[in-house]
Amino acid sequence: MEIRLKKIDNNRWMIPKTGNMRVPGLVFSSPQLIEAVQQDQSLIQVANVATLPGIVKQSLAMPDIHRGYGFPIGGVAAFRMEDGIISPGGVGYDINCGCRLMTTSLKAHDIKPYIKELISALFKNIPVGVGSKGTLHLTPRDEAQVALEGASWVINKGFGQSEDLERTEDHGVIEGADPSVLSERAVKRGLDQLGTLGSGNHFLEVQVVDHVYDSAIADKFNLFEGQVTIFLHTGSRGFGHQICDDFLKQMTGADFLKGLQLPDRQLACAPLKSDVGRRYLSAMACAANYAWANRQILMHLTRETFIRSLSVSPNELDMTLLYDVCHNIAKEEVHRVEGEDILLCVHRKGATRSLPPKHPLLPSIYYHTGQPVLIPGDMGTYSYVLAGTQGAMEQSFGSSCHGAGRTLSRSKAIKMAKGRSIHRELEDKGIFVQSKGKQTLREEIPEAYKDVSQVVEVVHKTGLAKKVARLRPLGVIKG
Amino acid sequence: MSKTRPDYILLDHTADLGVRIRGTSPADLFENACKTLDYIIFGSVPPAEKPCSRKISLSGNDLADLMVRWLSEILYLFDGEHLVVANADIHTLSTTELKATLTTTPFEPDYHEALREIKAVTYHGIKVTREKGIWTAEVIFDL
Repeated sequence: MEIRLKKIDNNRWMIPKTGNMRVPGLVFSSPQLIEAVQQDQSLIQVANVATLPGIVKQSLAMPDIHRGYGFPIGGVAAFRMEDGIISPGGVGYDINCGCRLMTTSLKAHDIKPYIKELISALFKNIPVGVGSKGTLHLTPRDEAQVALEGASWVINKGFGQSEDLERTEDHGVIEGADPSVLSERAVKRGLDQLGTLGSGNHFLEVQVVDHVYDSAIADKFNLFEGQVTIFLHTGSRGFGHQICDDFLKQMTGADFLKGLQLPDRQLACAPLKSDVGRRYLSAMACAANYAWANRQILMHLTRETFIRSLSVSPNELDMTLLYDVCHNIAKEEVHRVEGEDILLCVHRKGATRSLPPKHPLLPSIYYHTGQPVLIPGDMGTYSYVLAGTQGAMEQSFGSSCHGAGRTLSRSKAIKMAKGRSIHRELEDKGIFVQSKGKQTLREEIPEAYKDVSQVVEVVHKTGLAKKVARLRPLGVIKG
Repeated sequence: MSKTRPDYILLDHTADLGVRIRGTSPADLFENACKTLDYIIFGSVPPAEKPCSRKISLSGNDLADLMVRWLSEILYLFDGEHLVVANADIHTLSTTELKATLTTTPFEPDYHEALREIKAVTYHGIKVTREKGIWTAEVIFDL
């Protein structure tokens, strides 16, 4: 299948409606980024998503788009509640994979002499890597409560403060979770993985605010140049993976799909109004809530490690949650379509919500700034903090990108890293890394990713979010 | 299932990891697929230090669906029950049914050094085909 792109302007390309597509595709990109996008089959995936029933406006691709499975990574699609679908693959295996950013009162020069010891302590105290187990082993009953209550359940157990909830998307809990729909396997996989970072592209990074673009919003976000921040990226672990797997297998082969001629089996889906569709949404909410609890525990472990390792008091450290966002999710949200506000199911597969100032879902602290949008880069470059804008509501169902986006396959990255000491290269740049998996650093070399600055520039220029601050890594732990 | 490297190659996929696995028969292909998963996670087929036997029975819509379910089963045993599959004997394999006996051994993180985490076995681009007597499967794993 050949995709013909029609350039709208320097940051927008349309995929005209052809074949079974119900709506056109719209790709946010730039002349520098679009070439790689055209080579990795992700545009075919944008077109495939456009064939799904009930889709409205366009099948969207954020500027960090790259090939995924079924949906592209960086894909956004919204479906009507009456005749639309829910697709587990359109949410992804790592349900509510997301990011959390914490600010501190520390300045980079306070921690630079101790950065190696600090990174080692974080690596020791935070469970990372394949098969790692959390310090909190849950009973099935506890796990059901986590699935129902999300971040607040672990806060009540002493992992953080109730103020953290206001600074978490959806206050750290999606309504509609129902643990009774979960399989025995999903329950089992979740019991010992709460409070673990995982592996692959998941990480915890100690950073410094390197540049402020919008000082008024940065002030409201409590960000200033030279400040130490901590960025976390992880999700719902095996619990979420199993839920996606269970429902994909239930939906594959269903009568509903027989008439659809799906171009990719991974696009298996069910009507939003169907029994299996509703059950998936209830199970997905369980995993989303688990992921928020997971990141809440990891923040607590990070705070404790900073206090012990740097011998500072909690007040001196003042580690505060700036925001927690999810980027693999499906949500029922109201959006304007052809002049009418309607309830839609918005799938964000590798895309971050980006709410503008005065949006009713915003907490009071961010009511006048817009929602903090957290965009991690690769481990050798920058991450960004942006603020949500009205442009996102008008163009992308209130969505922005979620990261740099890979540009090299893992096998190509390993080849490129052959004979190199990635640890030493990063250390030469002042970035200390500890990782568990032998291949992780080679697969995650900076060259494997797009230039996050170019991706963020597209987001800023197209008005999907606006730049607030840039963060530079000082140290990273990975699984 | 022998311990030698299975007949597979890595496929290019930007975000995830794809493999093309070959076998002389459907059963050989499925056994090779199990071994390939071990190679991707551990770099080899781990020895069975404390062997345990487990019978499994799966059904699917077709061979490609069965392949996803088969590999998902092995992945679940690892992530959900902390068991590494050291051997797989397939007794029955039709286009919709698979029966096998697995030899498992407990996962010990200090002993079984994992190279990478596989989140899931996807249906994206899944293929099981036969050409000139050789059976081939293409599978993409979510990392």
